[in-house]
Amino acid sequence: MPLSLLKYALSREHPAPRFFRDCTEPKKTYDAVIIGGGGHGLAAAYYLAKDFGITNVAVLEKGYIGGGNTGRNTTIVRSNYLTPEGVNFYDASVQMYEGLSQELDINLFYSTRGHFTLAHTESAMRTMRWRAEVNKHVGVESYVVGPEEILKACPQLDISCSGQAPILGALYHAPGSVARHDAVAWGYAKEADRMGVEIFQNTEVTGIDVKSGKVVGVQTNKGYISTGRVLSAVAGFTPRITEMVGIETPIVIHPLQACVSEPMKPWLNTILVSGSLHVYVSQSSRGELVMGSSLDPYEVHSTRSSLDFVEGLSSHIVDMFPFLGNVKVVRQWAGMADITPDFAPIMGKTPVEGFYLDAGWGTWGFKATPISGKTMAETMARDMAPELIKSFRLSRFEEYELTGEKGAASVGH
Amino acid sequence: MTLRIAEKKGEWINRDMPLTFTYEGQTVQAFEGDTMSSALWAAGIKVLGRSFKYHRARGLLSFANHDVNALMTDGVDTNIRADVIPVSHGMELFAVNTEGGVVKDKNRFIDRLSPFLPVGFYYKTFFKPRMMFPFWENKIRKAAGLGKVNFDYPRQLRPKRNAHCDVLIIGAGPSGLSAALTAANHGKQVILVDENRYAGGSLGYDHAADSSTSDKLETLLKQVSEHSNIRLICDAYAGGYYGDHLVPIVGKEGITKVRARSVIVATGAFEQPPVFRNNDLPGVMLGSAAQRLVHRYAVKPFHRGVVVTANDHGYRTALDLAAAGVEVLALVDMRQQSGDEQLAAAVASKGITIHLASCIYEVIPSSDKLGVAEVVLAGYDEQTASARFERSSRIACDGVAMSAGWAPAAALLYQAGTKMRYDYAVEQFVPAQLPEGVFAAGKVNGVYDLALRLRDGQRAAADAVRYLGGQDVEQIEVAQSFQLAPSHAYPIVHHPDGKNFVDFDEDIQVKDFINAAKEGFDNIELMKRFTTVGMGPSQGKHSNMNAIRILARIRQLPVEQIGTTTARPFFHPTPLAHLGGRGFHPHRLTAMHEWHVNHGGVMMEAGVWMRPAWYQPQGAKLTAQEAVQQEAMAVRKAAGMIDGSTLGKIEVFGQDAGAFLERFYTGKFADLRVGSSRVALLLDEAGVMVDDGVAARLAEDKFYVSTNSSNAATVYREMQRNLQLWGMSVTLVNLTGAMAAMTLAGPASRSILTELTELDVFEEAFPQGAIRTAEIAGVQARIMRVAFVADLAFEIHVPSSSALHIWQNIMKTGQPFGLRPFGTDAQRLLRLEMGHHLISHDTDGLTNPFEAHAGGLLAMDKAFFTGQRSLQILAAKPLKKQLVKFVLDPGFSAELPKECNLVINAGQITGRVTSIAYSEYLNRVIGMAFVAPDQAANGQQFEIRTDDGLLVKARVVQGSFFKLSAQ
Amino acid sequence: MKLLQCPVNGTRPISEFTYGGEYREAPDPQTCSDKVWADYVHNRHGAPGLKKEWWYHGPSGTWFIAERNTLTDSVSRTYLFGQEKDA
Repeated sequence: MPLSLLKYALSREHPAPRFFRDCTEPKKTYDAVIIGGGGHGLAAAYYLAKDFGITNVAVLEKGYIGGGNTGRNTTIVRSNYLTPEGVNFYDASVQMYEGLSQELDINLFYSTRGHFTLAHTESAMRTMRWRAEVNKHVGVESYVVGPEEILKACPQLDISCSGQAPILGALYHAPGSVARHDAVAWGYAKEADRMGVEIFQNTEVTGIDVKSGKVVGVQTNKGYISTGRVLSAVAGFTPRITEMVGIETPIVIHPLQACVSEPMKPWLNTILVSGSLHVYVSQSSRGELVMGSSLDPYEVHSTRSSLDFVEGLSSHIVDMFPFLGNVKVVRQWAGMADITPDFAPIMGKTPVEGFYLDAGWGTWGFKATPISGKTMAETMARDMAPELIKSFRLSRFEEYELTGEKGAASVGH
Repeated sequence: MTLRIAEKKGEWINRDMPLTFTYEGQTVQAFEGDTMSSALWAAGIKVLGRSFKYHRARGLLSFANHDVNALMTDGVDTNIRADVIPVSHGMELFAVNTEGGVVKDKNRFIDRLSPFLPVGFYYKTFFKPRMMFPFWENKIRKAAGLGKVNFDYPRQLRPKRNAHCDVLIIGAGPSGLSAALTAANHGKQVILVDENRYAGGSLGYDHAADSSTSDKLETLLKQVSEHSNIRLICDAYAGGYYGDHLVPIVGKEGITKVRARSVIVATGAFEQPPVFRNNDLPGVMLGSAAQRLVHRYAVKPFHRGVVVTANDHGYRTALDLAAAGVEVLALVDMRQQSGDEQLAAAVASKGITIHLASCIYEVIPSSDKLGVAEVVLAGYDEQTASARFERSSRIACDGVAMSAGWAPAAALLYQAGTKMRYDYAVEQFVPAQLPEGVFAAGKVNGVYDLALRLRDGQRAAADAVRYLGGQDVEQIEVAQSFQLAPSHAYPIVHHPDGKNFVDFDEDIQVKDFINAAKEGFDNIELMKRFTTVGMGPSQGKHSNMNAIRILARIRQLPVEQIGTTTARPFFHPTPLAHLGGRGFHPHRLTAMHEWHVNHGGVMMEAGVWMRPAWYQPQGAKLTAQEAVQQEAMAVRKAAGMIDGSTLGKIEVFGQDAGAFLERFYTGKFADLRVGSSRVALLLDEAGVMVDDGVAARLAEDKFYVSTNSSNAATVYREMQRNLQLWGMSVTLVNLTGAMAAMTLAGPASRSILTELTELDVFEEAFPQGAIRTAEIAGVQARIMRVAFVADLAFEIHVPSSSALHIWQNIMKTGQPFGLRPFGTDAQRLLRLEMGHHLISHDTDGLTNPFEAHAGGLLAMDKAFFTGQRSLQILAAKPLKKQLVKFVLDPGFSAELPKECNLVINAGQITGRVTSIAYSEYLNRVIGMAFVAPDQAANGQQFEIRTDDGLLVKARVVQGSFFKLSAQ
Repeated sequence: MKLLQCPVNGTRPISEFTYGGEYREAPDPQTCSDKVWADYVHNRHGAPGLKKEWWYHGPSGTWFIAERNTLTDSVSRTYLFGQEKDA
């Protein structure tokens, strides 16, 4: 039992302060306003304060912090992408995650488990090699492994997938991890708040004022706030925000669903993803299997669940692990994923001066939380996007310079 | 010492069928029909499990499928819900998540550590220094989870059923039963489901003591079972509500997906525990659980006990207990006054002392902490939710029944999109605005009086019938008036030493909520996530309502301003096998499939099809590599044949057929001569290569178009869409399944074909690219010269029904010529030798024709084709990469680079290998790769990095591989 | 699984349909600027609301237009392309 818990036993009063203040009335003006109190928005606020000393910042959250996709994802962190710019970006995120519990002084349960992307076809094997080679080139530990090595990490896996889709091999990605998603948002909120950032929950942005191509303020249900810098970090709500400033983007919203099983004694020590079977699964520190699948097939701006999803997912999970037949699904849920045509985010400046975009996070937003916060903070502070995110600029579509992530079709969350 | 009592009318056990099982090694007698919990309780065994976090002993709580602390394993299955799953003869049961048995669980010490484990403690520790986290994580993981999974559990395939009805009624209690009869009497087809083994709901326990209501139940059940419009499904629960009234009914054997025209939710309410210290000890249970024990299983909940209540239900519970022979020592009513006076009088007449405005301050455990020893009664101050000790007393007893209120079982209503409001008259959430076609009746609708519930069922059914078009059906009013709400507004008793549990799944106490709020987690969603209330397997059925009440009090807000957390499916945890169904994975098989299998075909998945990758000749023991080289060599030197039935095959006819193809594909087709063909390259709007096939002109107004196997469906679909959009006079027929195709290739192919057809197949009459219609072996066929795998190759298209006949005839005729079947692996090698790229193998989701040397297929001078405008934009931009052919040095003998190995130039990635193979015919390693444009000139060298990091030199080849010199 | 009404085949479960994206008028490729064309190719009307969408009924091979509210996922009407007035 760690000694740090001793104080709780010795005190009748709960000796822990608020994580963040209960801010209700925004000031008239801020140096920067961040729309969206999820992981990304809170991280951007934190790095604005920490790296650039910009603390007169308001984070506006229409619900509660971390209540959007931050609290709805399957918590996987990895960097085994296809393009060098993608790998570099996510690798920077992984490295930040590794020390983030200590930096934010909260246990994020950042647990490095290794991550296998299973390949059931020769063409999937080719894509795995492609990713492995690019990863290695950039210095990220990924390589192609055969069935024996997969079984070493997960002996319970039916390598033939009940004869339906035999596994030929996998892309193994050593840094693959899971983390406690809510805690990431809370940790950033806590530290940003400590440095003076004001976080407003239940505060909805209803309009953004632009004058001569420049942001001048935001309208909210708690009154008008004037500011010259606005960051939109709202994932599934991005099109609603960009519409307020008249910016066109390729983003469309598709629900992404997930579900969780009853707790059982931990047995799955790694993270498994199957592109062909559209499944990803890991076991949480509570003992639940956390399972997800591919995007819903059509645009919907809601977080409703579907039976199709959980039926398809269950069928594939049981193919992979035939013994799980009587293990029960407790709960299913959905998030609203903001999808781009090239499976890469849209980050940086926009045609509207002072309006910055952190969007297009599709199914990979959680794993980018620290680095997106850091790079967007820098973009806002310097009014210039750092090199690391240049290829994610909004103008790439107009320029026909889509990122190469579009090359790989396989699912990999 | 048995707690089983004399036979009860309507009991669910069969006393003629005794059985024996063991629990934790101890032999137990029971009857058929007993659940695990009822059997154990009858035998006087009260420790049914250990709690998730503190490993406290737990017994019965709800006895209604959310006793998450009483989970069993029978050695095969785990996390079995003991409260509802029947026991069977010979079972060997153990409680899950214990170490050393449920009574002596070694982890029970954790309970004493609880002061060190404040809410969210795991966020505050274990991570400093960083290197220690894996150590702690390992410990936490060992403690986590409930039962152990049995890795040998057999694979289950559970086919699903579908059902349709006019009215789906969920819950066969009084309101559900009466709703079913009303709807059925109006001629509606009704499905009525109930999760219990028998219908009746609270009529069977809460009102069973009254002979008039038990008669009423019998009558209702008889009417329902005899009504031809009603299908009653018991022992199955509605798993969730999904769009357009789709409700999966989850039974023991599988799921029935019910698509209803309307839904009546009559799911009742979950009884909620009042919260006081040690309210979790074995022997402390909900009043409804005590009633179910008595009436369904004829088991006495305890010998001497106390009832704590805040509603009439508690009084009925006390009477039921007394009738079952329990010595009821006190009825502790948290309210200032009793409700129903007759009930109060009846209780008093049994000699039970009624303590008004009182509470249980705490329960004192027995010395072994496994049960109840005493109850501490005190006055109750509603304002402060605390005990007043001026009226304090101790009562020695072995059990407590708790009836302080309810929470609506409204999960399905929430999922359907119902807006709920808090009704202070009933002190619970009730539907405020129901979605179209969804209705609520009974307790879930805030109606508690038995007669009114029956009427509310009729009312809901009448509403549903009217919704379904029965305009003449009269509206029914249900007027409800309450003296006292059936639920206590704040059934919480604070205690300085805590252990007053709100969430039994997760061991969450009152102070955990207070402390979570202190740390800033003071809205319901954040509080849920920080404390984990409601996140356990019972999904907050007994805890969410109290959590909301506590938070409202902390924030000094009315309950409705706190709101509720979102109720997600499933209503009860649902097995993966049930959801997964029969594990259906359809594949398409070609007409020659069996022939391939019988001739050594090694079948591989190719999109939706199964295709032979290569053939193992009879009696041979070739490696794949050997077989592929032999098959390819046969094509180069004699003849080979491949089953190409998987190609997409589309007929395009009508006066605009040529014009249509010109808009759809990049090339020109309007001027194509009848009897000839051209490559058909398809782009998307962004100019990316999507598909390539062949379009052949059969007549002025008729084309026959092929697509890549994997794109057959999508290309046809896009053709159809564009046809509508462009409004052209064209008809499309998808012949992909109706027609089979085979390619006969190689120098001997002409001679073989000559023996089977009268058609002149020689060069002059049948040049490259030509298409002819002729009889082969008596079957009308379309024959095309397509130089994909060899210069001399005939693609033969015939109706699928004749395909095997033709295939066999050609194979037989070709035998003397050395004809062999070849599979997809050899095909890949052959086309590589020919220098043809494969779309989405050699190209990717971003490749445009300029990068893939496909400029020759673009008729940029046409008025329009899909992707043309984007190509105009791309043409003005510098190329970034180019697809080239390459060879390795002659005699290259090291390990071959693999597809997707990278092309490296000065430490930078400039491309990747897309295809590579050794060709025995050429005796060279040949391939295709993306390289930087400045690496793409003929003869230029570049370097490929292998898996092992070695750099292999390759040389660009712009001409044909067949013209390579041997240097 | 929801239901969708195919204008030819009637109400069928959603699993029989394929979503074809929003129906959008293409600018005239002969006259429009590169920027306008790039906008057409890549950008989408992402905000929620009532949209005209392409849907395809697979078993019968029928494309049609559905007017659907992407916020509530409710379809107000469906018709074959070009037959909007008759719907």
